[in-house]
Amino acid sequence: MTHRVDQPGVPVPSKDGARDPVVTVRSLTKRFGEVVAVDDLTFSLRPGTVTGFLGPNGAGKTTTLRLLLGLAEPTAGEALVFGRRYRELDHPAGRVGAVLESSDLHPGRSGRDHLRALALAAQIPPGRVEEVLVLVELQAAAKRRVRTYSLGMRQRLALAGALLGDPELLILDEPANGLDPAGVHWLRRFLRRFAEQGRTVLVSSHMLAEAAQTVDQVVIINRGRLVAAGTLGELTEQGRSLEDTFLRLTGAAS
Amino acid sequence: MRAQLRAELFKLRSTRTSLGLFAAMTGLVLLAVVLHSLLPAEALADRDNQLTILGRGEFLGALFAALLGALSVTAEIRHGTIRPTFLVTPRRSRVVWAKVTACVLTGAGLGLVAGAVAAAVGLLALRARGIDLRLDGGDEVLLVAGSVAAAAALWAAIGVGVGALVRHQVPAVVGICAWLLFVEGLLVGDLVGLGEVFKFLPGAAAAAISGQEPGTLLAPAVGLALLAVYAAAAAMVGALATARRDVG
Repeated sequence: MTHRVDQPGVPVPSKDGARDPVVTVRSLTKRFGEVVAVDDLTFSLRPGTVTGFLGPNGAGKTTTLRLLLGLAEPTAGEALVFGRRYRELDHPAGRVGAVLESSDLHPGRSGRDHLRALALAAQIPPGRVEEVLVLVELQAAAKRRVRTYSLGMRQRLALAGALLGDPELLILDEPANGLDPAGVHWLRRFLRRFAEQGRTVLVSSHMLAEAAQTVDQVVIINRGRLVAAGTLGELTEQGRSLEDTFLRLTGAAS
Repeated sequence: MRAQLRAELFKLRSTRTSLGLFAAMTGLVLLAVVLHSLLPAEALADRDNQLTILGRGEFLGALFAALLGALSVTAEIRHGTIRPTFLVTPRRSRVVWAKVTACVLTGAGLGLVAGAVAAAVGLLALRARGIDLRLDGGDEVLLVAGSVAAAAALWAAIGVGVGALVRHQVPAVVGICAWLLFVEGLLVGDLVGLGEVFKFLPGAAAAAISGQEPGTLLAPAVGLALLAVYAAAAAMVGALATARRDVG
C-alpha cells in the first residue's frame, strides 16, 4: 500500500480574525456523579499547530474532547472552538472535523454511503465524497460494506468523514490505533501538511514515541487535571525524552 | 431541516435493515391472512370477520413501523454513528425530527404494503372459497388499506420516540414487541378491573382506525386523532431527551 498526501497546500485564512485561539478551554469541569472526569482544566491552541493531548488511560482526554465538540455539557467552565460553543457554529463541518472512536461506523453500510449520509446532512456536494475517498485511499473499497474493512481502513474512513467539510481544526482521538507502520507514517505526514496550511490539529494519544514525532505542542493531563502544557522542546529539555517527562509528571500527580 | 431529512432517508435505504423489515412483515401478513382464510365458511361470511382479515396488516404494519422508528435511533447509538451525526448537526432535536419525518414516510410505505397485501390476499382467498364480500366493494377495502398506512406511519413516530428515550437497542425492541403483542392484550382482558381504559391505548387506537370491533374500540376518526396525539407526544419527548442528555 502506498500513501500519498495530496491535500492542496493553500493556507486557510481564519474566518474569525487571527487573534482568536482556535480552541479555548477555561476552568472546564465535568462530573459524573461522584467521579470528577475533568477538573478545572485550562488550555488554548493557536492556529497552525499540531498539539498532542496526552495522558494515561482514564485521564479525561476523551471526555474533554466530547465537551469541546458539544456531545456533553460541562458541569462548570467552558470549552470553545473559534471562540464559540460548538453547537453555536453555523456550519460546524466546515470549521471542525473530528474522529472520536474508530468504531463510529455502521457495519452494514458501504464506506461511500457512510460519507454520503454525512455529506447530505452537512450540505456538502457529492463530488467532495469522492475527493476525500481518494485522499484516504479508499476509493477501491468504497462500495464494500464497512464490516469487511480492516481496523486501519475504518480509521481512514472515519478520518475521511472528518475531512468532508474541509475544516480548519481537526480533532482526533487516538487516531494511530490500528494503523500499520505505513499508515502511521501517512497520518503523521498528513497532519504536518494540514498544520503547515495554517490549520490546527488536536490529537489525543497515549503512544508517546509516536506523538513525539508528530506534534509540536503538548498538553498533558492526569486525573482530569492539567499537569503540563508547552512546546515539545520545552517539555523535553535537558535531554529528557517525552516519555520520561510524561512518566515523571503523571507519576508525581498520582 | 431538509438536509437532515434527506440524510435520514438515505440512511434508511443504505443498509439492509429497512428491506429486511419489509420482507419479514410481508411474510407475516401473508401467513396471518392465509391462516385466517381457513376459518369455517360461516365465520368468513361475517362482515366484521372479513374486516378483521383485510385489516390484518394493521397490527403488523404498526409493529414493524415502530421497530423501524426505534432502530433508526438505537442502531446509530449502538454503532456510534450518532456521534458523527451530531457533529454535523449539533442541534440534536433537528436530527430527531428528521428521523421522525423519514420514519413516518417509510412507515406509511410499510403500512401500505401490509394493507395492500392483506387486502389482495384476503379478497383472493374469499373468492377462492366462494364467499361473498360483505364490505361495500372497493371503497371500503381501499379505506382499510389507507387506515393501515396511517396507523403504521404514526406508530413509526412512536418508535422513534421510544428509541430516543430508551437508547439501547434490545430493550427498545423488546419493549415495543412486548407492549403490542402482550401488554395491551392483557389489558383488553381487564384482569385488573380498569374497565374500558384499554381502548385508549395506542395499539387499540391503531386498530380502531380501520373500524375494527366497532362495539369495543373507539370510532375510526377518534382512534386516528388519539394515535396522532400519542405519536406527537412520543416524538416530542424523544427530541427533548436527546437534546438534554450527553451523548455517550
